[in-house]
Amino acid sequence: MKNLTTLTTPFLTLLLFACGGVPEKKETAAVEKMEFAVAEVLEMVAKENDITRTLYTKAIVGGGKKQGMKFDEDWQKEEVEAGPLPALFLRGIANDIRKSETPLGLYLGSDFPINKANKLEGKQADLFKKIKEDRKPQFFYDENQEVHTAMFADVAGAGACVSCHNDHEQTTKTDWKLGDVMGATTWQYPADSLSYEATLGVLKAYRNGTKAVYEDYLAEISKFEKSEKPEIGDKWPSAGGLYLPSPEVFLDSVRELASYDTMKVLLN
Amino acid sequence: MKFEINPLRKRQVLGMLIGTILGVFLFLFLSSEANEEYKSLGPMNTGHEDFSCSSCHSDAEGSLWAQTQSNLQYSIGLRANSVAYGTLDVETKKCLACHERDNDRHPTHRFLEPKYKEAVEKINTASCITCHSEHNAKRLTLSKVDYCMHCHEDLTVKNDPIDISHETLIATEQWDTCLQCHDFHGNHEYKTPSVMKDTLSYEALDIYFNGGKDPYSTKKKFTALSEKEWIEKFLK
Repeated sequence: MKNLTTLTTPFLTLLLFACGGVPEKKETAAVEKMEFAVAEVLEMVAKENDITRTLYTKAIVGGGKKQGMKFDEDWQKEEVEAGPLPALFLRGIANDIRKSETPLGLYLGSDFPINKANKLEGKQADLFKKIKEDRKPQFFYDENQEVHTAMFADVAGAGACVSCHNDHEQTTKTDWKLGDVMGATTWQYPADSLSYEATLGVLKAYRNGTKAVYEDYLAEISKFEKSEKPEIGDKWPSAGGLYLPSPEVFLDSVRELASYDTMKVLLN
Repeated sequence: MKFEINPLRKRQVLGMLIGTILGVFLFLFLSSEANEEYKSLGPMNTGHEDFSCSSCHSDAEGSLWAQTQSNLQYSIGLRANSVAYGTLDVETKKCLACHERDNDRHPTHRFLEPKYKEAVEKINTASCITCHSEHNAKRLTLSKVDYCMHCHEDLTVKNDPIDISHETLIATEQWDTCLQCHDFHGNHEYKTPSVMKDTLSYEALDIYFNGGKDPYSTKKKFTALSEKEWIEKFLK
C-alpha cells in the first residue's frame, strides 16, 4: 500500500500541475475602466437610430416615392423591384448587428402594428403605455434572458410614416398623425456598464448595420430589370430625379446629423 | 523468504496492460480524420452529408492533457472555472455563419425579444437545433409542424386572399396547413396559392422535411455557404 501511495502521489501531482492546464480567462471587467452606464449607451444609440430612420424615411422613402421609386415589404423577393420600407430597414440593421460580436439586441413594435407579429405584448406593452403618455424611455432588467432592456418612443417623424401606415391594406389604425408615438424600439445589452471601447463597439455595430442594409438596397437596385435604375452618387431624390446617395454620402449625412448628440455622450 | 507475486496480481497487471494497449489503439483510431464516421452520433442532416466534424465542432482551448488537468484542478477547487473538454458546444451562431440571411422571415434572434418569452418556453425558436437537430439525416426533426400556433393564434388578414380564410383555419386549429403555403424561413421564390386545393400536400412537405425533394421551389434567394466557402470566409 505504501508503495502504491509512493508511486501514485507524484503521478497525480504531475497530472494536476505539470504545464499548468488551460490558462484561466481574465475578467476583462476587472481591468477595463467602466465609463458608461448601459442606459446612457442605449439612449445614445437609440438617438442615432432615430436620426438614421428619419433621414431614410424622409429623404429616401418620402423623397424617392415622389420621383416614382417603389418601396415594399417584399423588397428582397426576386420579382419585386423596390426598396425596404423603414420598418424593414430597421429590421435589417437589427439582423446585421446580430452578425457582429456586439451583444446588442434591437426590435421594433407597436400597439397598432401592420403585421400582428410586431405587436407589443406583456411587460413591453405595459411600458409602452407609459411611453405614449410622457415619451420618456423605460428601462428594465429582463431576468429571463439576463439582459438590460430599454424602450424608446418611435415617433412619426416624416409624412411617409403616417401616409404609408394609414393607407396600408393591412393597417390596424388609419388616423396616425405626424408626431404620434407610433411604436417603440426595444434594445437589449447584457452588461450594466460599458467601457469606452465597448461603447464604441455598440455604435459601430449599429452604423455597420445601417451601411450593410443600405448597400443591400443598392445591390437590389443593380438587379432591376423592368424598373429604371436610380443614379447612385452625390445627389438625393430631392434634387428632382431618380437619384440616390451612395452609402458614403448617406452615412456621412447620418454622422453629421447625429454627431452632436453622440459626441455629447462620448465626451461627457 | 522468497518474494512471490500473487497470481491474481499477475492477472491484474495483464488486464491493465491489455486495457492500456486497447485504449491507446482506440484513441489513435478515433483521432484519425479518416475514421470520423465512427465517432458521429448519426448520419448528417440533408445538405451536411460531406461535412467534416471540425466544420461544426471546433477544438476547445488547450490540449486534452491540459483540459484534463484544468478540470481536475477545478474539481478540487484549485481554479475558478472548468474548461470545455475536447470540442466546443455547437451553438446557433455556428449555424448562422453559413445560414444567416437578411431575408429570413423568422431569424433566431427575433425570439430573444421579451414578448416571446412564453412562446420560447414552449418551443425554443431562438435556437436552430430545436427544429434542426443534427445527426438525424433529415431537414426537420420536430415530430409535429403545428408550432405557428404559439405566436400567430390571433392572426387576422384583411381581404384574405385564400378561399378558406386564415381566421377559419386558425379557429379550426389546422396549424399543419400553414407550411402548405408558407415556407418558414421565407427563402424560396414561389407564388403563394390562393385556393387550398392548390397548396402543397402534407405528404410532399413530409418528404421534404425528411430530406427529400423540395416542393416549394428550386429557386432560392440565398444559398447557405458550402464547407469550402465557409473555410474561405472564416478560416483563411
